[in-house]
Amino acid sequence: MSGDTFGGRMGLIFATIGAAIGTGNIWRFPRMVGANGGGSFLVPWLIFLFVWSVPLVIAEFAIGKRARTGTVGAFRIFAGKRFAWMGLWTAWISTAIGFYYAVVTGWCLKYFSAAASGGLSQGVDTTLVWNEFLQSPSQVVVFQFLAVLITMAAIWRGAKAIEKVNVILMISLFILLFSALFLSILMDAQDGTLDGFVYMFSIQPEYLLQPETWISGLSQSAWSCSAGMGMCITYAVYMRKDEDTTLNAATMCLANNSISIIAGLTVMMAIFSVVQDPLSAVSGGSSAITFLVLPEVFAQAPGGPIVQLAMVTMFFLALSFAALTSMISTVELCVRNFVDHGVERSQAVGFTGGALFLFGIPSAALWILMDESTGVAFPQFLEVQDHIWGYGLMFSGLFIAFSIWKYGWNRYKVWQDENDIEGFDFRDYLDNGVSSFRDDFINTGDNDWWIGKWWDYIMYLGFPIMFTVLMGSYFIDVIFNVDDPWNPGNPKGISIVLLFWGFTAAVFILLNRWLVSRPLYRNVPEGAEVPIDTLPGGEDEMILQVGDIWMGGDLDGDGSGKDRVLVAELA
Amino acid sequence: MSVVRRVSVHLVLLMFLLMPYAGAFGNVEAQDEPEEINEPLDIWSKDYIDDVYPWGGDDAAQFKEYHTYFTMKDRMQHLAENNRNIMTFHEGLNGGVNARGQTTTANTYEGWYYNHKSPWVKITVNPQGGDCNDFVGDCGNYPDRPDVLLVGNHHAREWMSYEVPMMFLEMVAHYYGKAGVDNDGDGLVDEDPWGDADGDGILDDDGDCLSLNSSHQDSNGDGVLCGPGDHGVDEDFSEQYLTDLVNTREIYLIPMLNVDGNRYDREVYCGETAWENCAKSGWRKNLRDNTLTDAGPIPNLNEEVDDACDGVDLNRNYQYEWGAPLGATGPLIPGDCIAGTTNNDVYNGPVDTNDDDGDFLLNEDAVDGDDNDGDGLIDEDWLGGNTEPETKMIQDLTEMNDDNGDGASEFKVVFNWHSFSNLVLYPWGHCTDCQTPDHDFLVYHGDQMAEMTNYENIQSSDLYPTTGDFCDWHYGVHNSYCFTMEIGNNFHEHPDDIDHIAALNMGPTFYMVEVADDPAFRAVFGLGMDEIQWMQSPANITIPDEGDIPVELCLHPNFPLSNDVNRSHMMYRQVTPTRMQNDYGPTEWKEIQPWDMTGFDQTTIRCELLDGTNGTMAIANIPIPETSVGEIHYRAMLGTTNGAFPINYPTVGEQPGDYYVLSLPYRAGFGSTLLAVMMFILVASVVWGGLGFTLREMFRDRGDDDHSDQTDIVESSIQTVGVDSAQDYGRMTVAELKVILSERGMPTSGRKAELIDRLKGA
Repeated sequence: MSGDTFGGRMGLIFATIGAAIGTGNIWRFPRMVGANGGGSFLVPWLIFLFVWSVPLVIAEFAIGKRARTGTVGAFRIFAGKRFAWMGLWTAWISTAIGFYYAVVTGWCLKYFSAAASGGLSQGVDTTLVWNEFLQSPSQVVVFQFLAVLITMAAIWRGAKAIEKVNVILMISLFILLFSALFLSILMDAQDGTLDGFVYMFSIQPEYLLQPETWISGLSQSAWSCSAGMGMCITYAVYMRKDEDTTLNAATMCLANNSISIIAGLTVMMAIFSVVQDPLSAVSGGSSAITFLVLPEVFAQAPGGPIVQLAMVTMFFLALSFAALTSMISTVELCVRNFVDHGVERSQAVGFTGGALFLFGIPSAALWILMDESTGVAFPQFLEVQDHIWGYGLMFSGLFIAFSIWKYGWNRYKVWQDENDIEGFDFRDYLDNGVSSFRDDFINTGDNDWWIGKWWDYIMYLGFPIMFTVLMGSYFIDVIFNVDDPWNPGNPKGISIVLLFWGFTAAVFILLNRWLVSRPLYRNVPEGAEVPIDTLPGGEDEMILQVGDIWMGGDLDGDGSGKDRVLVAELA
Repeated sequence: MSVVRRVSVHLVLLMFLLMPYAGAFGNVEAQDEPEEINEPLDIWSKDYIDDVYPWGGDDAAQFKEYHTYFTMKDRMQHLAENNRNIMTFHEGLNGGVNARGQTTTANTYEGWYYNHKSPWVKITVNPQGGDCNDFVGDCGNYPDRPDVLLVGNHHAREWMSYEVPMMFLEMVAHYYGKAGVDNDGDGLVDEDPWGDADGDGILDDDGDCLSLNSSHQDSNGDGVLCGPGDHGVDEDFSEQYLTDLVNTREIYLIPMLNVDGNRYDREVYCGETAWENCAKSGWRKNLRDNTLTDAGPIPNLNEEVDDACDGVDLNRNYQYEWGAPLGATGPLIPGDCIAGTTNNDVYNGPVDTNDDDGDFLLNEDAVDGDDNDGDGLIDEDWLGGNTEPETKMIQDLTEMNDDNGDGASEFKVVFNWHSFSNLVLYPWGHCTDCQTPDHDFLVYHGDQMAEMTNYENIQSSDLYPTTGDFCDWHYGVHNSYCFTMEIGNNFHEHPDDIDHIAALNMGPTFYMVEVADDPAFRAVFGLGMDEIQWMQSPANITIPDEGDIPVELCLHPNFPLSNDVNRSHMMYRQVTPTRMQNDYGPTEWKEIQPWDMTGFDQTTIRCELLDGTNGTMAIANIPIPETSVGEIHYRAMLGTTNGAFPINYPTVGEQPGDYYVLSLPYRAGFGSTLLAVMMFILVASVVWGGLGFTLREMFRDRGDDDHSDQTDIVESSIQTVGVDSAQDYGRMTVAELKVILSERGMPTSGRKAELIDRLKGA
């Protein structure tokens, strides 16, 4: 009896890198570099890679590898039965983002097809193309459907298939991006200088003194690496027993940043070589740069129409691939949780895919408005969704940290019982509580690298501080820069966000009891059996391994014994 | 004056009421109307008077006969007492230490001979409130209410010049707060204001006059049909307008400045019916006893007025360009009056014998705006002037009525009445072939008043050059827009003409009060100057590669741009895109700076105004760092030298938010190539190098894994302690490997892979 695993280490790496690399690397990173003073932005961005993204991904891998379940199960095991809803939150946020991310993936596909068919050649009014596309809901929905379909096909067969698709997509993405970068360098070098390169790697000290630069660096690093989103928990389920989690985490984050730099250089150099006022173009809006500016830029590439066509097509194909790999991980995160609770994989994929398509339709077609000042159409409903769930991700990260704190405290209590020690002693807590997660799950024999105390400091101190700063800056930004932020009807306001968060959390907390009354099936590969009974939620007799049969009773209440059949099929 | 038939006032009013319907009956019917019906009622009838001057009172109050000094003063006091909410009565000034450090008393302002102080009325709402001024003796001083000074009867014989202000006073007293009175009883309200307010070229807006037969359309006999002052023209002004002015202005009304001279003219020199014997003559000056001065060789022992020599022409006694500037009418020798010779009607008063600045030099720096003696002070030791009680009163009222304490005169507009010639005069008076810096604006306001009165608007010196003139002093010293009305056709008009001449002059009087807030600004607007000026729109701005961003304004050469940066400035703010942008929507802008301001540099660079004429360039340099990107919002606010109101570019409503939006390119250098390459190497080695390192580690691990996979099946059951397995060697550090090697007596040099091979080979 064997669990579902990736075939090789590279499979896991490619899958996690694919999850991490998304449109954010290709369109958000260059924009952030442009708006935050070029090289000045790279400083916080690099620092937070090591103090935020990598440590958090290490934690996720460690949790997932031990729990061998999706997010719901992971929280149920690591934080205890009462906190399974946190996993539900994490899964929901990712899925809710998936609802509209499928639409965005559809945009990318549409632009790829438009580029390939010559619809974005020189002289085309890109604003018109964008507006016409966005304002015809049927087109947007068709491409959204296509994106969902491709994603479903990729994950239908489980980890092995995901691995293969990701390897193909990622390698293609690398090749495409490197080709585009090569052409960009040619473009930028045409005037004898490498303006884009120089700007991107020049530190302007005044930017380093501005808090916005650091907040942008932190958020870009966190968002772009998918740290704290539960992705890595999910993919760790498919790890083989002796997988090196720290090395995996570092590789994934560094690969993500590597792609960012390549994409950033490509975009910056291309824009600097063509656009009169490059920084305004780069910092002037998001959809604008990707779908309005870049086609114009690539359409002016040297080498004639064929190179131009190749450039713009390559770019949007790369963008589509990046989006698709992120879609795959999003769906997989959701599907994994269904499978954990005994639902057949194909059913879970079908159900998730259907939901993804249906709930994405409003984002695709609802409230397509026109920005008066620029004459550019934009999807208001999609923006509201992004506004609400984008920052909801922060809580997912906080919950992961919480489960680590919870584990540490539990271990401290156990240690106290074992040694008959009464009363709280901080030094003992540091030695036997705070460091226990690291000792038990990270610095196992499987890892080449010893992770030091610094990781504990980041999890216990750095994390809450950075969470507070990010959340605080977000709230301050909304309260001071949005008109009427407290009106719940204001899609850009703060009340609508708090209402959605509050409602979602309340429902999930209510669902918790029901959730933990169901058996949970861990995907434990052969030879990776490790006891989990020291974990806060480990002594739960309803936590089984795939292949085990729940003998406790009839869950459906219909006496059909269907649960067993399902499990049997899975096995 | 033409003789007109008396017709019942009600008939005429009925006729006016029917006017709107007249057209419906057609021309034929109109021709059938008896001609007599289309005549005005007798404007001298009691009915008419009561209708037009409804405040009652005696014949003088209804302008059928002249006031004397005494009846005028009684009437002023009566009106002030009955309208305490809007006016207070005063005589002369209280005195004290004036702006020049001189100590005065109330007596300082008494006439030399009859010892009267000039009576005056302060008009503003709540005149008991606000700040009180001990020197002037008034309260109701509000810094936010523009002040205006209206002065009549500098010259004793010009009797109409105090009747006009009296009619102004009666109208204010009667109509204040009575909005919407149908003054002409035609059923329309406020439909025929003074002048051509609506700019349609028709003075008689409601057609009251035009409906009369042509033989009756020139009721004032000036040869113009239905012109200003004719019956039915401009007879239904807005009471709301009048009320608003009283509520927002401080009006200083001095109907009769020269009380001494006026009494002498009426009581001695010409007599009560002066219009019969003195129509174009009479007493002009005040009653200074020149025979007592050092200059007068023949003392007049009986103290009677010596009409050959006594008196000073008050309107030649002001200090500015006092004396005998080039081209001015005599006296050629300042301060000289030779008794027994021809009466010198324009004697300008004695020469100043004080060393005003205490430098032991006399009269070395006359009041002319120049530093004649080069001592850094301007006009500090005057030649003469302001020697008379009456002119001293004007001087000290002007200089001591300082509501906001800034030392400048509060009177942005000063107005005075004279007789005769049907003229509007604006400065200068002291020089010919010269123009004031505000020439266009003075002409503009003069034209407005000329249009309301059918008078001619000319520069004062074009009538004849003067010296020590009231308006020259106010304009030259205090920068006030000052106008002189030469009203009527005689010094002593026939009493029948009092009311219509006075009524004709109401329009200019209210106009002066209206524009007193900022006459330069109003002229700029009236001339359309603001409309032909322009500020560079974002499309026309060239952003330099470094330094401030210049924004050009093309200004009319005569535009009175204030250099005070608080009044004239470019407002700008920098807006940058929010760094925490939405990933899917349009740019969201975030204002990071509040509005800031910078002044203008006025240049001599020529530019073309929108009407094609030449203008001069003013440039505002907006200081923006080269490293800034985003947008600049900018708008210009141009204050006039005299005024409080700014003129905005872009004009209000022209742009959303009333400012221009300029996209700001990044202008700084992109950095040094060498440093960028170093930074690139650093970042690349951390990220790409790091990735390479981890991948290498990983592949090595995988190599180990593959090895173990192959051997696993065979070895897993038997190999329990994996000290020697290749897999475990791979996990050891180099140091650990060396320990094992040295334990086994093997060489410890080489790379890790070599060490492992050596161990495996062992």
